[in-house]
Amino acid sequence: MKFTIFQESRIGKRKTNQDRIAHCYSRDSLLMVLADGMGGHLHGEIASHVTVQCLTNVFQREAQPKLSDPALFLSRELSLAHHAIIDYALEKGLREAPRTTVVACIVQDGHAHWAHAGDSRLYLLRDERIHIQTHDHSRVQLMMDQGLLDVRSAATHPNRNRVYSCLGGTHLPQLEFSRRTPLQTGDVLALCTDGVWGPVGNDGILRGLYKESPMISVPRVLSQAEALAGPTCDNLSLIAMVWREGDSEGEYSDVVSTQTMALSDFTTRMDSVRQTRPASGEALLSDDEIERAIQEINDAIQKFSK
Amino acid sequence: MPSQANCALPAGFQLDRYRIERQLSLGGFSIVYLAYDTDGTPVAIKEYLPNSLALRKTGEIEPQVPEDNMPAFRYGMKCFFEEGRALARLLHPNVVRVLNFFRANSTVYMVMQFERGRTLHDYIQRHRGQVSERFIRNVFIRMLNGLREVHAHKLLHLDIKPSNIYLRADGNPVLLDFGAARQTLAQEQPMLKPMYTPGFASPEHYTDRERLGPWSDIYSVGASMHACIAGSAPPRSDERMKKDMFEPSAKAHIGKYSSQLLELVDWCLLLDPLQRPQSVYTLQKELGQKPPPAPVSSSRLSNILSKLRSSVGKSGGKAP
Repeated sequence: MKFTIFQESRIGKRKTNQDRIAHCYSRDSLLMVLADGMGGHLHGEIASHVTVQCLTNVFQREAQPKLSDPALFLSRELSLAHHAIIDYALEKGLREAPRTTVVACIVQDGHAHWAHAGDSRLYLLRDERIHIQTHDHSRVQLMMDQGLLDVRSAATHPNRNRVYSCLGGTHLPQLEFSRRTPLQTGDVLALCTDGVWGPVGNDGILRGLYKESPMISVPRVLSQAEALAGPTCDNLSLIAMVWREGDSEGEYSDVVSTQTMALSDFTTRMDSVRQTRPASGEALLSDDEIERAIQEINDAIQKFSK
Repeated sequence: MPSQANCALPAGFQLDRYRIERQLSLGGFSIVYLAYDTDGTPVAIKEYLPNSLALRKTGEIEPQVPEDNMPAFRYGMKCFFEEGRALARLLHPNVVRVLNFFRANSTVYMVMQFERGRTLHDYIQRHRGQVSERFIRNVFIRMLNGLREVHAHKLLHLDIKPSNIYLRADGNPVLLDFGAARQTLAQEQPMLKPMYTPGFASPEHYTDRERLGPWSDIYSVGASMHACIAGSAPPRSDERMKKDMFEPSAKAHIGKYSSQLLELVDWCLLLDPLQRPQSVYTLQKELGQKPPPAPVSSSRLSNILSKLRSSVGKSGGKAP
């Protein structure tokens, strides 16, 4: 696989950052996940943290080097994350289970699959247009669908943050799944929280992310959103990936090529305010990873000795 | 922790499904054993045991790794895996074969095919100053087949030296000890120093590690050929960078070997990576060339040589 990816999360003007984002790739599969822990409920950051952690952990276990069924992975793991949040709340005796939105996307075999709950969004930008975007699970979106609100009044509606589907909380999440979507060279997949799409709007997303390396465009879009949101700026997070498969090599210096990765190798980036510990110590190589490395080497020996 | 030598596992020790026979070599990073599997087939087992991080005391089996060293120990293990990964994918008669990989005694082991024979280093020691040009060309052309395969997999060996080139009983060379991967990781973990052998390592091995490439292995190949010719490695390249005291082989050994070979060695040993042969194939082509008749010092030798030349059809140096 060949792609360029960048992610960033900022605290905005809030006291804590309850957003959690991560991306993780093996040789043949890429996971991007973003969760916005819900303020107004207790421990929103726990819900988002558990969700992102669950997905990346299982992904690293199963994507060796790719998932057998990406859609199944998303449906299974997102429900598991939901239950993990509830278990956590029970275990810690929390009065109510914390909640989070989620949007997660898998890319493998040149196709993207995604799923979401709540108002964190995924955009697929193609040919200088928004080719696809997810449909928010929010009250205002419902009202818009029914023709009761237009885009402009929705942007200022007092209940615009209300979502009816999320992980955690008291109800089962209503997860919405994408189709298996083929990617084209130059496609941009962007996952963001309402802290980003709220202030800059669809136009800001499209103009901000199209045609440029995410390493430049992501920080710029976040800065725009921060400036527009002013003193009440929410947490804001954005992951953008540009699909470079099929591009001639060497044209972009920031392109990740996973071609030469070992079968059980993963590159993982998870940004969160809680994770301050540098990557050292046991984190470098767990017992599981040792077992996996050995297994993989032996598989290679078997495979190549034939 | 001061570097103490680690104790080897005792003879007769049952390690997984292998029985240890004896220690073959002890390095800073590992111990290599001769062992027998359940069928009685001999194998070479390499035990990951970095001296500076883990210590196995006399009479003990499990090495002790102080907690402070644990991160570096695990880091080094990752590098050991890299070596295993690299070798597992290489199936070439001139590259050592990996047979198995397993975990025991809180560390990891790599099982390799056991090769009978001796190292090029031993050979040079025994034939000091008497290593023939034909032998050098033959061994290196074949060894380079293996190195080509390594480079084709986008790997670098980075520790080529006569003691890592094994000569099978039939004279076919095998490239051993792929410690390469461990070195690229060394910057972040000061406890695991890059491993290279002075004299055989290129200047970029020491300092400019971003410039490492096939040409770095080619420097080491040149240094190994130099060792065959001169009996020892050329001066350390880091010293040469300061003040180059190296006398080109073409001058130092004129008359003993064809100038084509000597010039090739000097070419490989150029300090500027870009000035060296850039690919193994280039080097092989040069080695495969029939050298022009070597200048000879005595008419008697010349007589012998001309006879040999006619019988062998390809020579330039001394009789093998």
